[in-house]
Amino acid sequence: MKIGAFEELVLLAVGSLTENAYGVSIKELLAEKTGKNPSIGALHSALYRLEDKGCLISTEGGATSERGGRRKKYYTLTARGRDVLIEISKLRLEFSKNIQGLNLSWDES
Amino acid sequence: MNHKRDQHPPRFADRFLRWFCSEEVLETLQGDLYELYFQRRKKLGKFSADLHFVLDVLDTCRPFALRQKSGRRFFNSNIMFKNHMKLAWRNLKSQPFFTFLNMTGLAVGMAGGLLIALFIYDELSFDKMFADSDRIYRVNIDMRNSGETNYYAAVSGPLAGVIRQDCPHVEMVTRFRVVQRTLLRKVEGDENVKENHVIGVDSTFFDMFGLELLVGDKETALKEPNTLILTRSAAEKHFKLNEALGQSLLLNNTHPYTVTGVIDDFPKNSFLRDHSVFIALESFDNAHSDAWNNFNFPTFVKLAPTAQIDDFQKFLTGVNENYLIPWAMTFVPGLTVESAKADDKKTGNFMKFRSIALEDIHLYSRDRQDEFSPNSDIEDVYILSLIGFFLVLLAIVNFMNLSTACALKRAREVGVRKTLGANRYGLIRQFLTESALISSLSFLMAVLIAYLAMPFFNELTGKNLEMPFYNPIFWLAIVAAAIILSIFSGSYPAFFMSRFMPVKVLKGSDGNSSGNGRVRNYLVVFQFSISVFLIVSTLVVFQQLSYIQSKDLGFQKDQILVVDDVYAAGNQMRSLKQQLLDLGEVRNVSLSSYLPTPSDRSGTTFFLKGSFKAENAFIVGHWEIDCDYIPTLDLEIVAGRNFSEEFYTDSSGVILNESAVAMLGVNPGEAIGLQLTRDFHRQDKEHMKFMKVIGVVKNFHFESLRNDIGALSLVLGGGANRMMVKLQTKDFSNTVKQIRKIWEKVAPHQPFNYYFLDESFNSTYKAEQRLGRIFITFTILSLFIACLGLFGLAAFNADKRVKEIGIRKVLGASVSQITYRLSADFLRLVVIAVFISIPLGWYVMNRWLEDFSYRIEISWWIFVLAAALAIAISIVTVSYQSIKAAMASPVKSLRSE
Repeated sequence: MKIGAFEELVLLAVGSLTENAYGVSIKELLAEKTGKNPSIGALHSALYRLEDKGCLISTEGGATSERGGRRKKYYTLTARGRDVLIEISKLRLEFSKNIQGLNLSWDES
Repeated sequence: MNHKRDQHPPRFADRFLRWFCSEEVLETLQGDLYELYFQRRKKLGKFSADLHFVLDVLDTCRPFALRQKSGRRFFNSNIMFKNHMKLAWRNLKSQPFFTFLNMTGLAVGMAGGLLIALFIYDELSFDKMFADSDRIYRVNIDMRNSGETNYYAAVSGPLAGVIRQDCPHVEMVTRFRVVQRTLLRKVEGDENVKENHVIGVDSTFFDMFGLELLVGDKETALKEPNTLILTRSAAEKHFKLNEALGQSLLLNNTHPYTVTGVIDDFPKNSFLRDHSVFIALESFDNAHSDAWNNFNFPTFVKLAPTAQIDDFQKFLTGVNENYLIPWAMTFVPGLTVESAKADDKKTGNFMKFRSIALEDIHLYSRDRQDEFSPNSDIEDVYILSLIGFFLVLLAIVNFMNLSTACALKRAREVGVRKTLGANRYGLIRQFLTESALISSLSFLMAVLIAYLAMPFFNELTGKNLEMPFYNPIFWLAIVAAAIILSIFSGSYPAFFMSRFMPVKVLKGSDGNSSGNGRVRNYLVVFQFSISVFLIVSTLVVFQQLSYIQSKDLGFQKDQILVVDDVYAAGNQMRSLKQQLLDLGEVRNVSLSSYLPTPSDRSGTTFFLKGSFKAENAFIVGHWEIDCDYIPTLDLEIVAGRNFSEEFYTDSSGVILNESAVAMLGVNPGEAIGLQLTRDFHRQDKEHMKFMKVIGVVKNFHFESLRNDIGALSLVLGGGANRMMVKLQTKDFSNTVKQIRKIWEKVAPHQPFNYYFLDESFNSTYKAEQRLGRIFITFTILSLFIACLGLFGLAAFNADKRVKEIGIRKVLGASVSQITYRLSADFLRLVVIAVFISIPLGWYVMNRWLEDFSYRIEISWWIFVLAAALAIAISIVTVSYQSIKAAMASPVKSLRSE
């Protein structure tokens, strides 16, 4: 399973938002964490791709008036999504061990 | 939050989003965009929020937004298609009456359109089968002299040589020579075969038209004098194909010719169709004549691949100055290029060499003398295309009309479907499927109808078409046409009906029926306008035809039997004439090749004694007749006398017609005794032969009534090839039998070819009669289709108002009142249509009549008749339904509520 760097970030954001992960909230979280404002098109595009890859599932929420009566689509991490994240982190860890002075580890985070 | 209008994000961007975004994605995406928009609006203000919104919308225009959910979608549409088909089929079955009307109208219209398309395809395909046909041109002559313009398809003999020598743009020149009909027989046999299409041609014939010999050698065929080649079917009349080479054939019982080759028959759509015998040009005495004033040689050129037709045309324009006038200068004293030009300018005379593309000959070269085969007229093609177009349009309009009418009945169905979740596109697909089903079924019907109607259509148009069932392109065209038609004819009902608001239709009002009704009214008006126009046209064409038939022609065409090829009787001609005169049923017999109906024609140039200047030349028709000619045809002599056998000086006498006398600028009385000469070439003026005018005949129509009566001179002469026999009998077949018996005695084994003069006269107007028949056929068809539509609409209308009618009847309305109410609406439309089409018909038919020198005035009663006809037919159509509805018992219609 291959996912891109941006997809990885989106996946992380969805995971950390737990119950409240939908378009706008994910966008805000990413902006806050990375300091860069992701484009809404790129975000949605990534969400659909991740859903296709089985890393996310979506459920439709209720309509709210601040969205002009449109429903939200809430995303949750699947077991598969979780595995993908773990796999990536492992890879990073593996590499970081070989780099002098770089000391990453799981347990502490 | 309450959304006021100005708080909405930019609408154009929103609309764009809705347009490109698939429905699954739209809701969430739009929701996110809105949410962001309102946030920004609070924080950053309207302008910035608007701008961001627009940019975001553009940003989201990515593949994911456009996509449909894969897999499931395909599966879905497949199922839906099956469902659509099933529903469409049920729908057709549930309303057999409307389905029948709809399909019949469409099928009849399409069948007509199909036949016309085949006809036009055939007309446009002429002469394209020859190799390099796009580079081949024919040279024509247009000539105006003494106020009369003539058009020739054959040109002067020396032209070909001049082109070959001096025109660099031309690769090849082929010269034909006009030949009359010819009798053919084997030297040892004595059964003659008549060949109607014989022509002389030089040996470049094969290379010019890319022809291959079945038998014989291209290098030697047609090279020597007294040789000929035959087409396969002509050759097989005399010999086996492989034995034909080197055989001898006797032409007109006198000259033996050797067969040097056989070619295949020419296709029906070539200008050489039916031509069967090609004589080597070298066989003719004047093949190498330098005379420019005989137009006997149809001349074809093939341009060099790089040459432009304009270059060649330029060369032709220079022919007069560079070749023709210098030739004339050798015998016309004092003639120079300048004086000839000045004369032409003064008199308005001209002689122009013009080229016409081989592929254009069939449609753009009508009415030329010495044309190879009868041609069509591009105008006929236009008229037919227009009629075909109208017919198809009528059928489509009909279909749309009936479908939209039925749609109202189905408004509820649409409402229910929409509430159950059908979207607009699904409904459009549903309705398009229905129209596709109907149109493909009616196309099948149309092909069948066209197939059955083909023999009739061939008779109508004088063609020999077949359904191209084995041509894949034909089927492709049919399928393509069916698809286009189903989209075209189904689109209006589909888009109109899918717009119904479910709430409205389910509440019981009919959607927006009033607007729909208006469109339907327009369509009815349109249909009937076309129909009334066609009725007017038909009436005018037929009136003109009957005018032609009953017009006083200046000669009696009835009861005259014409025997062709009396030449075959040889020196027995006089005895034949005498034996025929001895029959009690024969009143008169005249020998001449020149008849007032299609037959030989020739012309000559006369000068009046004492004025030999070129501008005084007058060119007239020149017919050789005998003493009995004028009484046989009952021509009227207005001055002087007829030729008589008692005056032997009559051999140098001439009788003119009134047109010729008018050309001389005198009145008939003064014309008698004038001296004319054709002998102006002669150097020794004192021996010049003059002819004396001894009589003037009243003008008679010897050309089509399209043309004015031309100037004509009649002289005594032999060498006649036709015999007119004026009969006084009622028992034609018996008389013909007797004449045949005499013929067989006098000219054994020679074919007895005869016809009646009035038949031949009528055939001059074949084109008009054909047009008349075409008009009447398609008028009936279009009326039929329009009536089907009206019938359907009336039925629908009565059905819709069934409760209203019931209530009216309960309240005491009479049958006639109700019938009137139901019919009046439609009649109003028909009356409007009448008023639209009458000026149109008047204008168009006046244009058509302008072609005739002798024509009718379009009178008012034609329009009254056409209007009355249209109204009467529509009353009959509508009232059937109206009366049926009005007679129905109100109990039936009202009991359900």
